[in-house]
Amino acid sequence: MEAIIILFLTGIIALFLGIFKQPKLTTVSSILGLVAAGIVQYFPLDILSDKYNILEFGDAGNAFVILALMITALIILSGDKGFQEDKSHVGDYHALLLFSLSGGIILIGFKDIFMFFLGLEILSIPLYVLAGAKRQSKESSEAAVKYFFMGAFATCILLFGVALIYGSTQSFELEKILEFTAENPVGPIFYVGLLFILASFLFKVGAAPFHFWVPDVYQGSPTVFMGYMSSVVKLVGVFAFVKFFRIAFDNVHEFWTILIAVLIAISMFIGNLSALVQTKFKRLLAYSSITNGSYALMSILYQGSVQDSSLWIFMVGYGMSVVALITISTIVNDERDEISSLKGIGYKNPLIGLVAIVALLSTSGIPPFTGFFGKLMIFSAVWVNYPWLIILALINSAIGVYIYLRLIMTILSKENSETTSKLSITILQQGVLISCLVILTFGWVFLAGWK
Amino acid sequence: MGSLVSAGVAIFHLLNFDSTAPLTTLYENHTLPFGMTFHIGYDGLGLLMIMLTNLIIPIILLSNYNNSKTSESSLFHALVFLMQFGLLGVFSAEDGILFYIFWEFTLIPIFLILYWFGNGTNKILLKFFIYTLIGSLGMLLSFIALRTHATSFDYVDLVAAKLPAKKACWIMSGIMLAFAIKIPVFPFHTWQPDTYTSAPMSATMLLSALMLKMALFGMIKWMLPLAPEGIADLKWLVLILSVVGLLYAAVMCIRMNDIKRLFAYASISHLGLIAAGIMIFTKDALVGASVQIVNHSIIAVGLFLIAEILESRLNTRNMSEMQGTATLAPKFGFWFAVIAFASVSIPFTAGFIGEFTLLKELTDFNPWIGILSSTTLVFGAVYTLRAYQLSMFGAPKNEIFEDLRWNEIAVFFILSIAVVVFGLFPHLISDLVGPSLDRILAIFNAPTSL
Repeated sequence: MEAIIILFLTGIIALFLGIFKQPKLTTVSSILGLVAAGIVQYFPLDILSDKYNILEFGDAGNAFVILALMITALIILSGDKGFQEDKSHVGDYHALLLFSLSGGIILIGFKDIFMFFLGLEILSIPLYVLAGAKRQSKESSEAAVKYFFMGAFATCILLFGVALIYGSTQSFELEKILEFTAENPVGPIFYVGLLFILASFLFKVGAAPFHFWVPDVYQGSPTVFMGYMSSVVKLVGVFAFVKFFRIAFDNVHEFWTILIAVLIAISMFIGNLSALVQTKFKRLLAYSSITNGSYALMSILYQGSVQDSSLWIFMVGYGMSVVALITISTIVNDERDEISSLKGIGYKNPLIGLVAIVALLSTSGIPPFTGFFGKLMIFSAVWVNYPWLIILALINSAIGVYIYLRLIMTILSKENSETTSKLSITILQQGVLISCLVILTFGWVFLAGWK
Repeated sequence: MGSLVSAGVAIFHLLNFDSTAPLTTLYENHTLPFGMTFHIGYDGLGLLMIMLTNLIIPIILLSNYNNSKTSESSLFHALVFLMQFGLLGVFSAEDGILFYIFWEFTLIPIFLILYWFGNGTNKILLKFFIYTLIGSLGMLLSFIALRTHATSFDYVDLVAAKLPAKKACWIMSGIMLAFAIKIPVFPFHTWQPDTYTSAPMSATMLLSALMLKMALFGMIKWMLPLAPEGIADLKWLVLILSVVGLLYAAVMCIRMNDIKRLFAYASISHLGLIAAGIMIFTKDALVGASVQIVNHSIIAVGLFLIAEILESRLNTRNMSEMQGTATLAPKFGFWFAVIAFASVSIPFTAGFIGEFTLLKELTDFNPWIGILSSTTLVFGAVYTLRAYQLSMFGAPKNEIFEDLRWNEIAVFFILSIAVVVFGLFPHLISDLVGPSLDRILAIFNAPTSL
C-alpha cells in the first residue's frame, strides 16, 4: 500500500521535474522512488495497512512486486539515453511508467474484483499513451489506437463478466466467491461470466485466440515501452490471472483448466511458428512473448502456483531476458528494426555478445541459466495432470531454440553490418546489461533463498 | 596450465580414492525446493571419467599448439575450460537435474568453438545443436516423469523409484534418445560426420574423445539403473541398432577418401561396439566398455591429430593426393603407424583388451551378434591400413612435407605410452571401476530377481 503511494508521488514529482526540464534529476528521482518503494514493500511500515485492508500481498506477492519494481528500474535506466534526448517529454514518460506500475502493484495485491478492475485500468491507460509516444511515426500511432480500442473492448467484456459473476454470487470478494461456489450450485450465468473474464484475461496476457494485437502494438511502440509491456505487464497480468482464477474459481476448475490447457497449446505454436519467419527484431520478440506468456500461463494448471516459486523464477528469467534484449535493441538503435542490423554486434562488443548469448539461451530454456529453472519447475508441476501439454511444450522449446540460435549466430557473426560499426553504449546501459547477466546466470541462488 | 592444475587435483583425489566406498561426496545440499538437490560426488566410474577428462584436455591443448588461429586466442581457451567444467560436472553429478544441467551446458562452449573457429556453415551447426538438444529434451522429459515416482531428483532416490514396466520403457527410451544421438547410434548419426569435418581439430577431439563419452558414461550410470524395468524391451532394439551402425560405418569407411570423414565414421563404428556391449550389462562387458572408452579417447585424439597434420600441411583432406608422405617425413610415418596399430587393436594395446572383452561378451549373449560385431575388427584393419597405405606409401606427390614438431611428437609419445600401459595392465582401470559397476549391477539385478 505504501509502495503504491510512494510510486504515485514519485510520478507526480517526475511530472514537475519534466516541466522544469530537468531530465537527469527526473531519472534520479524515479530510480530513488522505485528503490524506496521496494524497501517499503519488503519491510512493511504498517501505517496504512490496518485502516485500508483492501490489498494483501503475502510473501509471494512481495516477491512479485519487488521483481516488477526492479525490472521497471532497469528499463528506465536502459532507455535513459533516449529520454534525455527528448527533453520536453522526459517527465511524462517517467510519470506514465510509474503510474502504470502502481496499477500493476494493485493488480498483484488485489483481494476483490473492484480493486482488480481499478488496478487493471491504472495499469493500462498510461500504456495506451506510451504506445503512441513516438508521435511522428505512423506505426506508433497505429499501435496506440489499436491497443486502446482492443483494450477498451476487453475491459467491456471483463465488466460484463464481472456483472454476471456478481449477479450469481452476490459478492465482489474472491474468497466469498470461492465460499459461495463451495456451498451452492452455480448456474449457467456464472459460467458465462467466467468465460467473459477468461476472454479479457487472455487478451491482456496476449494468448491465443486474442493475440492479434501483440505483434502490431509491440512493433509500433517505442522499444523501451515495448520492453515494459512484454516484461512487467506480462508478469503482472499472468500473476493476476493465476491468482484470480485459482482463488475465485478454484471449485469449478474442471471447467476451465482443460480449456486453458488447449488454448496454451495453441498459443505456443502460434507464437513459435510465426516467430520462425520474422525479419524484424521487435516483432520476433512479440511472438516470443506470446510463446513465453503461454509457458507462464501453464502455472494456472496446478494448485499453489501463486505461493510457490515456480512462476516467479520463470518470470525472473523471462523478464531479465527481455530487459537485456531491448537494451541491446536500444543500443543498436536501428529505425528499420531489422534483425540483420544486429549482425556482428556481439563480436564487436564482447559484453553485448555475452549478454545476448545468456539472455537468448535462458529464454530458450538451456541450463544453467535462470529461464531453465522456471521452465523446469512449471513443466514438472504440470506434468502430473497434463503430460500431453508438456510434450507439446518441449517440442516448442526445440523450435524456440532454433529461432534463438539463429539470432545468436547473427549477433555473434564476425562480419559487421553498418549499424554495428558505430556503437555507443552509455555507462547506465552497461550496468543494466551486467545486472541482467548476473541475474540470468546465478538464478539458482534465488531458488535456494526462496522462503 | 589451468588444465594441469585441474589434473593435479584429480590425481590427488585418485590417490585418496577408496574404490569400495559407495560414493565420495564432495558437496551436498538438499534444501532446494522442488526436489532438486545440489549433490556432487564420484564413484570409481565417475573418477575414471574425471581422470580421463583432465588428462585428455591438456593433451588436446598441447596438440593444438601449432594452430595459430586457435592457440593464440584467449577466447578459445576460455571456451575449452568452460567445456572442461561442464564435463567434470557431468561426471560428478549425483542429481538428475544437475546431470542434465551440466550435460546441456557442455553444448554451449562446443557450439561457440565450432561457430567461431570452425568452417562449417550455419546449417551444419544448427543441425548439430538442434539434433542433440532434441535428444536432451527427451531425457529431461524422462526425468520429469521419473520424478513423479521418486521423492527427489537425487540419484539415490531416482534409483530407488519403482516403476510400472510400460512407463519404465518410455522413460528409458527418452533417456536413450539423448544418449543415442550423442554417441551416435545408427539412425541418429547424420549430424556427426558433417560436424566433425567442419570443426577445428581441437573441437573434433573434444567432441569425439570426451563429449561422446558422456553418453556412454550416462548409459552405464544413469540410463540402466534408473529404469531397469524397461531394459528387457529396449535391449534388442539398441543392440541391433548399434550393430547395424557399427557395420554400416565400417563399410562407409572402406570407400572413404576424405581422411577426417573416415576417422569420423571410424568413431561411429568403435562407439557402436561399446554401446552394444553396455546393453548386455554384464560385469565383463562393462569393464570392457570402460577400457574401450579410455582407449577410444586416446586413439581419437591421435587420429584426429594425424588428420589435422596432413590437412594443414597439404591443404587437402583427400587421401589420394597425399601419397608418399612417409618418405618425406619418416617420423610422422612412424607415429602414424603406431596410432594406426593401436586403432586396429593389435595385442598389447588397450584396444585389444577392450574389444576382445566386449566381443566375447557379445558372443556369449548371442553368437550372431558376436560374429557380426567381430567383423568390425577386420573392417577396422582394412580401412585403417588402407588410409595409412594411401597417404604414406607410394611415390611422393608433394615435394615438401615438414616433419613433426616437438609438441606433436610429445602428444604421440604420451598417447602411445598410455595405450600400451593400459594394454599391459588393464586392471588399473578394472580395479578402479569394478566395485562401482558391481553396485550398479546389484541395483539392476534386484527387481528382476523378484
